[in-house]
Amino acid sequence: MLAAAVLVVSLVLFSIAAATLWWMMHAWRTPEMLASTKFDEPDGTCGHSFSLLLPARHEQGVLEHTVQRMLESTHDDYEIIIITGHDDPETTQLAEKLAELAPDKVRVVTDTHEVKSKAKALNTALPLCRGDIIGVFDAEDIVHPELLVHVDYAFRSEQADVVQGGVQLINFHSSWYSLRNCLEYFFWFRSRLHLQAQKGFITLGGNTVFIKTDLLRQIGGWDPNCLAEDCDLGVRVSSQGGKVVVAYDTQMVTREETPASLLSLFKQRTRWNQGFLQVYRKADWKQLPTVRQRMLARFTLATPFFAAMSGLAVPIGIGIGVFVDVPIVIAMVSWLPVVPAFLVLAFEVAALRDFGKQYNLNVRFIHYVKLVIGTPFYQVTLMAAALRAVWRETTGRKDWELTRHVGAHLVAPAHTSATTV
Amino acid sequence: MSILLDPPVQRADVTRAEPRRFLGRSIDFWICATLVIAVVIVQAWNIADYPTVSDDEGTYLAQAWALQHGIGLAPYTYWYDHPPFGWMQIAALSWIPALIFHGHQLLVVGYARIIMLPVTAVSAILVYVLAKRLTLPRWAAALAVVCFGLSPLSVTLQREVFLDNFAVLWLLAAFVLAYSPRKHLWHHVAAGVCAALACLSKETALIAVPALVVALWQNVHHATRRYSFVGFAGAFILVGIQYPLYAVLRGELFEGNGHVSLIGGVLYQIERPGSGSIFASSSNSYTIFHSWLYYDPLLIVGGVAATLIALAFRHLRPVAIAAVLLTLVAMRPTGYLPAMYVIQVLPFFALVIAGVADRLVALITAYRARPVRWEQGARFLVVALIAAAAAFYVVPKWYHGDRTADTADPNAGYQAAATWVADHIKPTKNTRIVVDDGLWLNMAEDGFNGSHHDIYFFKLDLDPAVMANSSLPGPTADKWKDLDYIVSTPYLRQNAVSLPTLVTALAHTRVLASFGSGANVIQVLQVVPGS
Repeated sequence: MLAAAVLVVSLVLFSIAAATLWWMMHAWRTPEMLASTKFDEPDGTCGHSFSLLLPARHEQGVLEHTVQRMLESTHDDYEIIIITGHDDPETTQLAEKLAELAPDKVRVVTDTHEVKSKAKALNTALPLCRGDIIGVFDAEDIVHPELLVHVDYAFRSEQADVVQGGVQLINFHSSWYSLRNCLEYFFWFRSRLHLQAQKGFITLGGNTVFIKTDLLRQIGGWDPNCLAEDCDLGVRVSSQGGKVVVAYDTQMVTREETPASLLSLFKQRTRWNQGFLQVYRKADWKQLPTVRQRMLARFTLATPFFAAMSGLAVPIGIGIGVFVDVPIVIAMVSWLPVVPAFLVLAFEVAALRDFGKQYNLNVRFIHYVKLVIGTPFYQVTLMAAALRAVWRETTGRKDWELTRHVGAHLVAPAHTSATTV
Repeated sequence: MSILLDPPVQRADVTRAEPRRFLGRSIDFWICATLVIAVVIVQAWNIADYPTVSDDEGTYLAQAWALQHGIGLAPYTYWYDHPPFGWMQIAALSWIPALIFHGHQLLVVGYARIIMLPVTAVSAILVYVLAKRLTLPRWAAALAVVCFGLSPLSVTLQREVFLDNFAVLWLLAAFVLAYSPRKHLWHHVAAGVCAALACLSKETALIAVPALVVALWQNVHHATRRYSFVGFAGAFILVGIQYPLYAVLRGELFEGNGHVSLIGGVLYQIERPGSGSIFASSSNSYTIFHSWLYYDPLLIVGGVAATLIALAFRHLRPVAIAAVLLTLVAMRPTGYLPAMYVIQVLPFFALVIAGVADRLVALITAYRARPVRWEQGARFLVVALIAAAAAFYVVPKWYHGDRTADTADPNAGYQAAATWVADHIKPTKNTRIVVDDGLWLNMAEDGFNGSHHDIYFFKLDLDPAVMANSSLPGPTADKWKDLDYIVSTPYLRQNAVSLPTLVTALAHTRVLASFGSGANVIQVLQVVPGS
């Protein structure tokens, strides 16, 4: 009886781990596939106008740098709309000062909702947008000047409805968990999202995402009640058959920082997981035409929970195989999920080196050690976040726990040895 | 990024001609199919009667039989002599002879060789595909398959139930995958898995793995190189580690009191008494090497020569390195050299011979060639003359060797003994018979009651459980009296020297039936305690 349970659970875990591996490594399947994940070279013209939404809340430390960088864009038709809260005078003051610096390009909008969330902030600005493509950025993003021109070309050449650019966490050196977090983003934006776009069901990121204004207004903007409004937007667009293009280019990726502490990471993850659950329960994805697509939707929305589950279940399975008296074949099957799990770890190590080379960062041996040793602890954190998300969703807590930013990614990449390792 | 597959971004637009198709399939398919059918027919003909039944074949088949009947990895205690994946594959294929042959007088080991035919067929196809992926032209790929499958050495050894034949299949598959034309990551990972499976079939495949790494190195793209190698190495290690994992889960990894161990098995293989230098005329290695030369000197000598030349060409280098490594290990004076070792080097010799032949033809027809009609004609004539000369030299020798394989019957004695025992001895629950593994499965089918009544002669003295099972009380030295019959074969007699119980038993027998004469005689003996 126990043996049968171990057998079934092990096979299920093996399938989940193998699927994770497959999705993770999609971009590197062939050299052609890798080349196709980048932006195409633009043709030198600008066909669209952009409205770039920049919600900022208690982020006066990083806002100025972000806006100044965005003003260096080479595109000839864009506006920046900074959205601040009515209860946040410092940031509003800074935003108004920046608007005075470039009055034809920068505007400030104030969100007056009582309970604040990013979705409500964005929805406040939505009716005031003048551009035909809306882009969303976070207050701490470092945006490349050429990005808008490339996105413009992507919209025109691919007849896209949405373009998702790459986001990359850069401060891998800050702590053991930020290392793993950076790699997570690397795989997500370099590889997994492209496969999702190819399959036609994509959970968008909340940042460096561009969508046609008409389409956005037509589907009613962002959902103010959902904690993962970006994921929800992607699901609603996919469910209506909208075309999403993903592009990741090392030069033009938006650089961000990881949450400042493990607790913030934990809260951020809880929020995302709860958001995914909310999107699942909203059931917009049920509008997808085929059974296969709906299964894919279920699988995609359940991914964070799979990852969390397998983190604990693999050692349990092995423990049973070793300590409990089951037939030798069952014991060996209980070790089977270890094969794809270790391959995932091996590929993560390879990716860390790749990441270091692509971004000219000094990845040292100690970082690889931290990567490997940090794996079980990170899994525990993710699993705890998944469980807390389920608890919060079932007990009806839906408030927004904001992630604080300190600008750790604004340190120039070469100076990695100065900060804590 | 469209929902459909993107066109390659960095390649120029090339208009490719549609490859010609014949009856719906490509020319390659027809060439390959014809060659494989020819190879399989030549190897299948007379398969049960030639060559002589080898004790190792019987051992592997007995172990496969034990797997199928749920007894374990072997009929006796599995002592980690070889990783078990080889006879797992034999067990998986054993439904094929069972489908065709019925009647328990037939020599099982002889007819079970049918299992090797699909293995040879797949290996031959893989040789063709690998040759094409090495950029050899079709005729050279065909030549490689012919050398691989129709040489008398191959025809003799590939029809025997040896683990090396399975290892060759997986090794060839690994090479074919490493040469993936699209440089597909999962193909490279699969190459790692196949390489591990080759090593788990026969551990000596490990020798060729460095050549596989070189092949992979030549075939990765710089952008995905890191991932290809990590995936390959990771898959190889993670699949290969299942064998020590099995040992660990059974508590049999390290040596200890009262149990077999993986380390013990590995040490046994490494520390086996050497067969001596291949060049010293008194050594076992010399005898074995000359037996290979007896079957086909052309493939061996030609293969060695071609290997040395092939090292100079980049596209042939990986297979040449594999051949070099395997040859160097065979030449170790202190190592143990089994007769079946040459099986692993055959595909690589075939490939280098074909590759070097291709380079030779290219040299003759294209080196400083001028577009002058008579000169081109002369060059082709030279090539034709060389080909004809080679054919005149090789074909009669191969024909003679293959004809022997397809007509001679050295197993008549074994077959007769098996039939005689099946007809004349009706075993009861307690009847014990001692045989070599060539007849072990026949005795099992005749109804001898399990591995302690159908006794593999080596186990008489080397497996304590067998003696302990005897129903006689008293000291071990007297337990031979519990034996009822012995089938004495040349192999049994050669190896009896170190087995005291067997020697004692053999001294107290009378002959019931005798087949053949001289040193090759096979006798069915009854043990008579009183004499």
